[in-house]
Amino acid sequence: MKGIDAGKTNTASRTRLFLAAAFIALLFAAIFARAVDLQVIQSTGLKLAAARQHNKTVSILPKRGEILDRNSKELAVSMEVDSVYADTRKVASPAETAHALSKLIKADRADIERKLKTGASFVWLKRQVDLSEEERDSLAGIDGIGMVKEGRRFYPNRTLAANLLGFTGMDANGLEGVELFYDNALKGAGRKLIGDKDAAGRVMLYEDAAKGADAAGMNVEMTVDKAIQHIAEKALKKAVEGSRAKGGTAVVMNPHTGEALAMASYPSYDPNTFGDYSHREWKNRAVTDTFEPGSILKTFLVAAALEENAVRTTELFYCENGRYRVADRVFHDAEKHGWLTTAQVIKVSSNICAAKIGERLGKARLYRYLSAFGFGEKTGIDLPGEPKGALQNYKNWSGVSLHTVSFGQGVSATSVQLVTALSAIANGGFLMKPYAVKTVRDSRGAIVSENNPVVRRRVISTETASRMTDMLIGVTTSGGTGTMAALADFEVAGKTATAQKPDLKEGGYLDKAFMAAFFGFVPAREPLIAAIVVLDEPQGDYHGGAVAAPAFREIASETLSYMGISPDRLGVKVKLVNYSPQNETKEGYALSKSAKDEGVMAMTVPDFTGLTMRAALMEAQKDAIEINAVGSGKAVSQTPKPGSPIPEDGVVTVRFQ
Amino acid sequence: MIDRRLFTHFDWFTFSLTAALTAIGLASVYSATHAQMPAIYKKEVYWIIIGLAGLAAAVTINYLLLERLAYALWGGAVILLVSVLFIGKTTAGARRWLNLGLFSLQPSELAKLALIIALAKYFTSRPVPSKGLALKDLALPAVFLLVPFLLVVKQPDLGTAIILWLIFWTMTLMVRVRTRTLVGIVAVFMALTPIAWKMLKGYQKARLMSFLDPAKDPLGTGYHVMQSKIAIGSGGIFGKGFTNGTQGNLMFLPEHHTDFIFAVYAEEWGLAGSMVLLSLFLILILNGFNAANDAKDRFGFLVAFGMTTMLFWHVAINLGMVSGMLPVVGVPLPFISYGGSFLVTAMIAAGLIINIKMRGFMF
Repeated sequence: MKGIDAGKTNTASRTRLFLAAAFIALLFAAIFARAVDLQVIQSTGLKLAAARQHNKTVSILPKRGEILDRNSKELAVSMEVDSVYADTRKVASPAETAHALSKLIKADRADIERKLKTGASFVWLKRQVDLSEEERDSLAGIDGIGMVKEGRRFYPNRTLAANLLGFTGMDANGLEGVELFYDNALKGAGRKLIGDKDAAGRVMLYEDAAKGADAAGMNVEMTVDKAIQHIAEKALKKAVEGSRAKGGTAVVMNPHTGEALAMASYPSYDPNTFGDYSHREWKNRAVTDTFEPGSILKTFLVAAALEENAVRTTELFYCENGRYRVADRVFHDAEKHGWLTTAQVIKVSSNICAAKIGERLGKARLYRYLSAFGFGEKTGIDLPGEPKGALQNYKNWSGVSLHTVSFGQGVSATSVQLVTALSAIANGGFLMKPYAVKTVRDSRGAIVSENNPVVRRRVISTETASRMTDMLIGVTTSGGTGTMAALADFEVAGKTATAQKPDLKEGGYLDKAFMAAFFGFVPAREPLIAAIVVLDEPQGDYHGGAVAAPAFREIASETLSYMGISPDRLGVKVKLVNYSPQNETKEGYALSKSAKDEGVMAMTVPDFTGLTMRAALMEAQKDAIEINAVGSGKAVSQTPKPGSPIPEDGVVTVRFQ
Repeated sequence: MIDRRLFTHFDWFTFSLTAALTAIGLASVYSATHAQMPAIYKKEVYWIIIGLAGLAAAVTINYLLLERLAYALWGGAVILLVSVLFIGKTTAGARRWLNLGLFSLQPSELAKLALIIALAKYFTSRPVPSKGLALKDLALPAVFLLVPFLLVVKQPDLGTAIILWLIFWTMTLMVRVRTRTLVGIVAVFMALTPIAWKMLKGYQKARLMSFLDPAKDPLGTGYHVMQSKIAIGSGGIFGKGFTNGTQGNLMFLPEHHTDFIFAVYAEEWGLAGSMVLLSLFLILILNGFNAANDAKDRFGFLVAFGMTTMLFWHVAINLGMVSGMLPVVGVPLPFISYGGSFLVTAMIAAGLIINIKMRGFMF
């Protein structure tokens, strides 16, 4: 019975069985296709993804390059010390080994034991540990324990130049200052060991960590002079502590080249134990901190007015006896003055007359010259953390902005920006790019890269610079605000500032908080150094002329004597002036089209012809010029002509066709 | 009971296929676990020995005995499933195992075999109308399915539940269902789908969603699939070589010795190895169909067909999920994945196929 039954169903069943087999074959074809898709077509990408997950390199640090001063004196050096690691697979007893190691490498026993139990073929036990010869021998005798030489950073002068130099972290990567900015050069090529990493992060190495040679880091030679740095730091410390200020900066620069000779910040720290300090002590305030410059800005106001022939040196201004009402604001002077010449306005630092000179110059031109002196623009110094500073476009200035900007309110800049701008007056009109490092050399002494003086632009003429210098000399002579900066043997050109600190929370200005500053250059008519001293919230007599000027004098006098300059030797080439710029090249560079193409603003009327209206407007915006457009299409002519001085009102009429 | 002819007619072909697959499985489990969990591959050897014993028993038994005991076997499996609910061992939130002292047993595996045998018996004893089964003819088979199905869902073990479901429908369709009845059932299920979605556990929904877009959440539920694809794809054409797979050995691949073992194998043996393994499975399945076709009676036909399709569905779902074509539902790969109960189940299935194939010629 079963046989008959089976025979009957079998034919139909056989068909369905065949269909089922066909269905299965189809699904298998899909799986085959998927295998080809993953293992052939997508394989390259998936191999990369796999490699990304498990490849691991362990860096063995080569000896980090040294940082030297301009006379090759050591500022930061590296010592070779031992770093201890384990191949935990070769460790017989983690507990015993950990016990033996904990004394030798001065590390926690439980911590070592935990590391030894991971099963990894490479794990650091302790990096950069000082070991004696015997300790090294006993370590070498323990199975599975190895040592490699790594460089440890040491700053032999302790706090000297600390804010400039910065420091390095545990992996010897630069974290601040020159160590950070030149990290790649200092670090060198290093050595990488390749291995695998599992999902839990344990590393298995393919090579032996103890073998192989390292590529040493490069040496960095700074423009800074250790002796001048010491002078600046000592003078700054004395000034800050004497005036019970919160902090301060001092910068010394070669005004002809833009080389930083010294850069001091207070408070400072010891980079050998940087962990004991905070960001407040670490930062290089001269580069990173902006402040409202106050009266020292008048230097650039008057320089602009002279360059534009807006005022004459001997022209008289009425200083309103200390009270000047503009719109709803009343401006005051520290002392009441009547009629003053332009030179006297600088000498006694009258805010009211500065505001009047500002009125004479006009918003557009004041803005243009401040921009040209580098306000609102990074100097491009080779140190980390530089801000732009604040300089609002004159189109956004409010009713009295022209007056307040004229005496240095509503504008902010760093010490480095200010001393660079001052250098443009000291060196005859050229705004330089400041720099802190001269050369980078490889371990054999060959030069890898070199910084040379770079002229950013010409700002004022040599003649204006010279007239401005005369006025700045007045500041330090009898009756001026900066007499305490005067030197017995040399003329000093400079300017004081006592600026109210802006109230960042409430707006307006703080009542009893001031920035006291003095900047100047010396010897005034043949300047070798330009310097700035800034004190943050000095107590007692808080005037720049009283607290910052003496520090400047100390720096200037000791630096000149260190450089071997005496009044009778002036004009003789001295070792510091190892660069004397050729005026022709500077001028050629400053006025070249290329400078303009880099986004530097024009100092004469640019050539608009051939530009579309849109392009002409963009160019004009950059140069703080207004265009009076006539017609439409492309620019065909303009008044004034290209290359002529920018008109007082900043308006150029351009005809489009 | 043991017939001399069992040795003279032994189906060496099917047995060799089974042995080859098991050997590949052992090697893969060794490669995946020898570095991190050496105890695992040693245990796998014991399971293979138990499995071979199960296979030998399945070959030697006269399968007509199974026909007689079919419902009793089904009842026994249900009792074991019920007891799991009360005395089962809970691992990772699921109560699936019975602790038998020396080893743990997963009754849901035995339920797969019991379901096949019970359905084969029912469809053999009842004459099938020429138009196919009507709804009333499906009532008892539905009970055979639903009792173990619901018990397994309760554990919860979605993978096994899906396999039971697929076994039921494959076998029922094989004996033919009336077209009208079939259309009606499909319509009802489509209407019920939204309700079923609501009943899924949170992690089950997440798996379905991550299947649709695994890259969206690579460290969450999509992690398995991404890692699996990376392992398979990075194997390339010829693979990285035995025990040289990085993704499996370095633990990036989760569950690499169980459900995702194919990724370990494919990483180390490449496309070439994948082709060999897939071919072995395809041959095993077609061979099983051949055994069904040659079976001397309807019960043998249905058992051979049921066992073969059970293996097929495991292969298809596991590979689909490992290669990212299907959502992750936790179905192991027969003979290859580590996992005792299922290895024994698969070997018993292979033994029954051998048994039916041999007896198809013998009498």
